[in-house]
Amino acid sequence: MAEPDQGQVNNKGTGTVKKPDKRGQETDNLVIARDENIIRIEHISKIFRTGHREVIAVNDVSFDVKKGEIFGLLGPNGAGKSTLIRILTTLMKPTSGRAFLDIYEVTKDDEKVRGIIGVCPQNSTLDIELTAYDNLEFYGKLVNVDDNLLDERIWELLKMADLSDRAHSRVSTLSGGMRRKLEIVRAFLHRPLILFLDEPTIGLDPEARREVWQQISMLNTEKITIILTTHYMDEAEKLCERIAFVDHGRLVSLDTPANLKLAMPAGELIELGYDQMNDSIISIIRNNHQVISVEKKDGILQISAKNGSNLLPVLIAEFEKSAITITSISIRSPSLEDVFLYLTGKKFGDMTSDGPVIHSGGSL
Amino acid sequence: MLRGAIAIFRRDFKKFTSNPFMLIMTLAMPIMYLLIFGNAIGGTITGIPIGAVQEQPYVHETALYSAGIDQLERFHTQPDKPALFHVRVFTGEPMAKKALADGEIMAYVVFPSDIEPARTIRLYMDSSEYTVPALVQSGITGAIAATGAKNPIEAVNVYGVIDYLQFFGVGVIVMAIFMTTMFGGGLALIRDREMGIIEGYFVTPVKRSSIILGTIGSGTVKAFFAGFIIFLIDIFIAGVIIRSPDDFLLVLLVLFMTSIGVTSLVVSLASRFSSQQEYSSVIAFFSLLLFMTSGAFYPVLGMPSWLRWITVINPEFYAVQALRSIILRGQGISVIWFDLLALAIFSAGAIALGIMTYRRTLE
Repeated sequence: MAEPDQGQVNNKGTGTVKKPDKRGQETDNLVIARDENIIRIEHISKIFRTGHREVIAVNDVSFDVKKGEIFGLLGPNGAGKSTLIRILTTLMKPTSGRAFLDIYEVTKDDEKVRGIIGVCPQNSTLDIELTAYDNLEFYGKLVNVDDNLLDERIWELLKMADLSDRAHSRVSTLSGGMRRKLEIVRAFLHRPLILFLDEPTIGLDPEARREVWQQISMLNTEKITIILTTHYMDEAEKLCERIAFVDHGRLVSLDTPANLKLAMPAGELIELGYDQMNDSIISIIRNNHQVISVEKKDGILQISAKNGSNLLPVLIAEFEKSAITITSISIRSPSLEDVFLYLTGKKFGDMTSDGPVIHSGGSL
Repeated sequence: MLRGAIAIFRRDFKKFTSNPFMLIMTLAMPIMYLLIFGNAIGGTITGIPIGAVQEQPYVHETALYSAGIDQLERFHTQPDKPALFHVRVFTGEPMAKKALADGEIMAYVVFPSDIEPARTIRLYMDSSEYTVPALVQSGITGAIAATGAKNPIEAVNVYGVIDYLQFFGVGVIVMAIFMTTMFGGGLALIRDREMGIIEGYFVTPVKRSSIILGTIGSGTVKAFFAGFIIFLIDIFIAGVIIRSPDDFLLVLLVLFMTSIGVTSLVVSLASRFSSQQEYSSVIAFFSLLLFMTSGAFYPVLGMPSWLRWITVINPEFYAVQALRSIILRGQGISVIWFDLLALAIFSAGAIALGIMTYRRTLE
């Protein structure tokens, strides 16, 4: 008798008006979807020891991921994203801390965890000597897809990846983008609760990246939680509902892209190109109450300021007064990249892409 | 042009000298060729086990018989080497015949019951070994001549005439199993790991034991087929004869035991090596060493005793010996039980080792 009552309370709480017969069930689902964190990470650390050197790859990271969201793990190469993913996908044990996927703890129930996740690792694990269909079929058997449903499911996924006509081509004949899409749908073969995509668009051309993005958005409509690591800011901004910034193994910040941008003290970024500069004008600009920071760099003055569009005419007047020629003007609102820069004092552009890493168990 | 060539030269050389393992293997290979090849093939064959018996009705030991045995025991092909024959005296012909059938001796001489010079001396030989029958025949002829007797000698090849192709072909069955597994299977396993396919398994619910079972299972079947195909070639082209369905099944059993043992060994080795290059060099070394000392090419009797110790621990030797016994001599379990036992010990050990080391790479 207690349960229907609770349902009533929830109905009132959400305040949605729907047909009475469907209402209870739908609202329950809604409540679960809103309240349940499908991933809970509690003080995870990972320390690698090589000889006398100690590298802290992940440093006391804690956060939750909500059910059904696309969650971005963002950071430069070597920030600890992949290590964190490897811990969550049971490939690696954390030095300390715990992580729960659904109701399972990654180190204790690793086999159960592997049953509810789909993983698309950074380095391809497709067998390039087999056809696209055979790769999916093989994987389907590994992840326990019912044999009676497997064929149908494979064609469904091949269609989703736009690879139906290449089903019986060897993977080695497919382009990088096609392989990536195939690998992403493969991870989704058994309808996992959580999908891990580690740098899904690394090394792809812009066209292929767009296609992969489309595919990821499409998968998300199937109510699946997606964890995405990337070091491409635009990718994270486009796809992710929430983003965690990771740097040097630490969680720097976690929020929606919009909120992250709000966290920037600067409203806008103004960049003014010049030929010659005298330092007195910089101190004049600095004294303006709207200005937050001024930086001189390669013939460009970077000014972050609140309400920058109002400030711009004032700045131009000041330049004219000092007889400095302005060669270019730009004004823009901050991107995620600027947010990251602000939070870490680091530049994303400095980072180069990883070469392929061979993970081997050999010891000689 | 020279600048580029020098740059490439230095790069190659730097990589070569920075890997002490490859350096050692590069040296080990020619030394092995010299020692093993040089000693395993074309060595002087001595100590061939033969039997001597006097024909019935047995009245007393004839002068020919005692002089013959004396000469056989002292017969040398080369003065500084041990005697050619190791003579065992039998009291009756059936016993000598049985010893030959069981593979204990490789020939036996039947001396006549009297010293009539017209009576023939009969010689029964195991014709399934390479060069040994010819040596036996010439050795015995020489020894009898040394006694001064003029009796004619009648030689019988117990297993018919077996040419070298048949002798060698049976060895190649085992070689096929070893080589295809060691090169094909092991390298494929390392390549799979380099391609990340094995790591791909780890994020799926598939059990570690399933991975091991699947890997060893597929390797065993591949190895078995490689051996089976050569076996068919031996039958249809080299012309070996399978005498009974039992023999056929026994051959399959030996093929299977060898295949699963070698596959497990290779799985274990491939787990230890992370690079294809290192693995290949080690495998090239071992496969040649095992094959040379297996007796597939040349009778083990011709090898120096230190090399025969390798033979004793060489599973390939037991496999070759078992297959020769079944295929060329039609011998059954009663003769090959020891070879089967040795193979079983090898396979069980290899499976345990394979599972252990492979599992470690899966952790």
